[in-house]
Amino acid sequence: MYRQKYLFLLPGLLVLVAIILFPLLFTIRVSFSSWDVYNPGLNWIGGENYGRLWEDARYWQALGRLTLLSVTTVLIQYVLGFALALMVWRDLAARRLFRVLFLIPMMTTPVVMSVLWRTIFHESLGPLNPILESLGIGAAPWLSSAGWAFAAVVIVEVWQWTPFMFLLLLAGLLSLPNEPYLAAKIDGAGPVRTFFSVTFPMLGAISVGAILIRLIEASKIMETVYVLTSGGPGTSTETSSYYIYIRGMRDFQIGYSAALSLTYLIIMIVALTVIAKLLVRALVKDAA
Amino acid sequence: MLKITDLELLVGGVAHLAAINASFQPGTLTTILGRTGAGKTTLMRAIAGLIAPDRGQILLDGTGWTRLPPWKRPVAMVTQQFINYPHLNVRDNVAFPLVRAGVAKADAAARAEAALARVGLAAMVDRRPSALSGGQQQRVAIARALVKKAPVLLLDEPFVNLDYNLREAFRKDLVDLLAVETGTVVLYASTDPREALQMGDQIVLLADGRIVQSGSPRDVFANPASLTAARVVNDPPINPIPFHQNGVADFGALGQQAITLPSGAYTLGLRASDIRAGGPHQARVTLTEVTGSETLTHLSLNGLDLVMQEKSVVLRSPGDVVGVHLDLHKGLVFGADGQRAGV
Repeated sequence: MYRQKYLFLLPGLLVLVAIILFPLLFTIRVSFSSWDVYNPGLNWIGGENYGRLWEDARYWQALGRLTLLSVTTVLIQYVLGFALALMVWRDLAARRLFRVLFLIPMMTTPVVMSVLWRTIFHESLGPLNPILESLGIGAAPWLSSAGWAFAAVVIVEVWQWTPFMFLLLLAGLLSLPNEPYLAAKIDGAGPVRTFFSVTFPMLGAISVGAILIRLIEASKIMETVYVLTSGGPGTSTETSSYYIYIRGMRDFQIGYSAALSLTYLIIMIVALTVIAKLLVRALVKDAA
Repeated sequence: MLKITDLELLVGGVAHLAAINASFQPGTLTTILGRTGAGKTTLMRAIAGLIAPDRGQILLDGTGWTRLPPWKRPVAMVTQQFINYPHLNVRDNVAFPLVRAGVAKADAAARAEAALARVGLAAMVDRRPSALSGGQQQRVAIARALVKKAPVLLLDEPFVNLDYNLREAFRKDLVDLLAVETGTVVLYASTDPREALQMGDQIVLLADGRIVQSGSPRDVFANPASLTAARVVNDPPINPIPFHQNGVADFGALGQQAITLPSGAYTLGLRASDIRAGGPHQARVTLTEVTGSETLTHLSLNGLDLVMQEKSVVLRSPGDVVGVHLDLHKGLVFGADGQRAGV
């Protein structure tokens, strides 16, 4: 009788296996095949794809670029989001206004948003360069120079996802008790010291959550790069997802792109697990 | 010396503090006694800088404080709520003000542990405040206030949220702890006159944001200057019995001092302990409160509402009739203006 309870779980488990486990297992199988535009099918070639991947400098460069892009954008988003949340935290009217205003970038479809930014960054027709020139800063080759193109991707990502950080951290700030702030004032801590000794540590758990969610999302960046720079100039803004997309959907190297995807998945799981542990140790006092 | 001159605070046109003038000597414990809403917490918060007064000055040894932000004032404070830092362990909680003051971390930790030992929490230094009982959390807050060694220590009803037995024990412990704080001005806010009589070197009575009397606890208790002061300093509150005097009469036997009253309306203030059961006046019981080993019986006598205090547990039901004796010669007489009459 007791074991029959598992029968009730079966439908859910079957759905779970179908939607998660089957694609994963199928991808593993595909990664050991030579499936491409000339030889479609699951022809077993052993670890050949993985050997090729190991020597594929473009893949590892894309992974390194992705790491830099993710860490840079998430850090900027965190700092800006925190600063904005602190600015409106104690001001009810500002809080209401910014909460609505900041939802707009998040609600914008990434492709539409990237098209808009591509127009803004356009070196001869876009509005950004004339504005920079009028300010005496000078025009920049936003989408035709490697460094500037990378900066453009960072700017767009920061613009779109800082509100997410803002909203999460503002919710965290609003949930903090007032009493420690009263104690800090009496105990001789000014506003800056109170931030570092009270606010920041008390927001540790929420900060870790927000950073991890954004790192996971940032590691999948694809639409922005696709529309804004197409990975260029050259391969200077190519990220892992975009490179896998090129190999799989443009070159139709299904077996190889499956191996790339699986490797990427394992690296991400390991990296994010390590990052999560380090962040928890550094920011969450309960973990000490 | 902590000196307060003409302190005034208005909130929405209502005076929360008005014309506060007082001096507090180092090494003394002054009880700020008043009912809820009298302005005790407001006064403490104004001294600590947590609220800004509209007028007046706060001076420590002649130096003005009024414009200093709270974190720059040499004040330590314990509040009614058990306020600690939830993200820090007990040791770090107590070390917090020392670290902020620039004391080296190791030294601050050692001093924090010594302070925690004084309040009986030596074994709990590594715990979080959330893992402690309410009483222990308040001890952490007291240790944090003591370790700062500030020249002004504000204790705003620190034991009000503890149960009766714990409150009694803590009060005694606090007196012992404060005995070594020789150079500190200690202000202790309370609603309980017994606390004031037990603890304070000096007592300041506060009502409606104003100081109504100050002095030694025994003097203030024995000779309240007004009906308001008598109400504040007596718990249960003094029984007001209005009467009218026709013609000058000598009431030499009334109260503790000989008085002569001209014609007019007066109020006789009779302490609850000065009404005894077993007398000729037939009073009807409206409510009986048993508090510890005492009984407070609320009575209705000829249209007057009175409270009788007995040092034993006596269970009576509403509607019971009890014969009472009023020790009128112990009463205090107040004039129509509420001030003590004929003194």
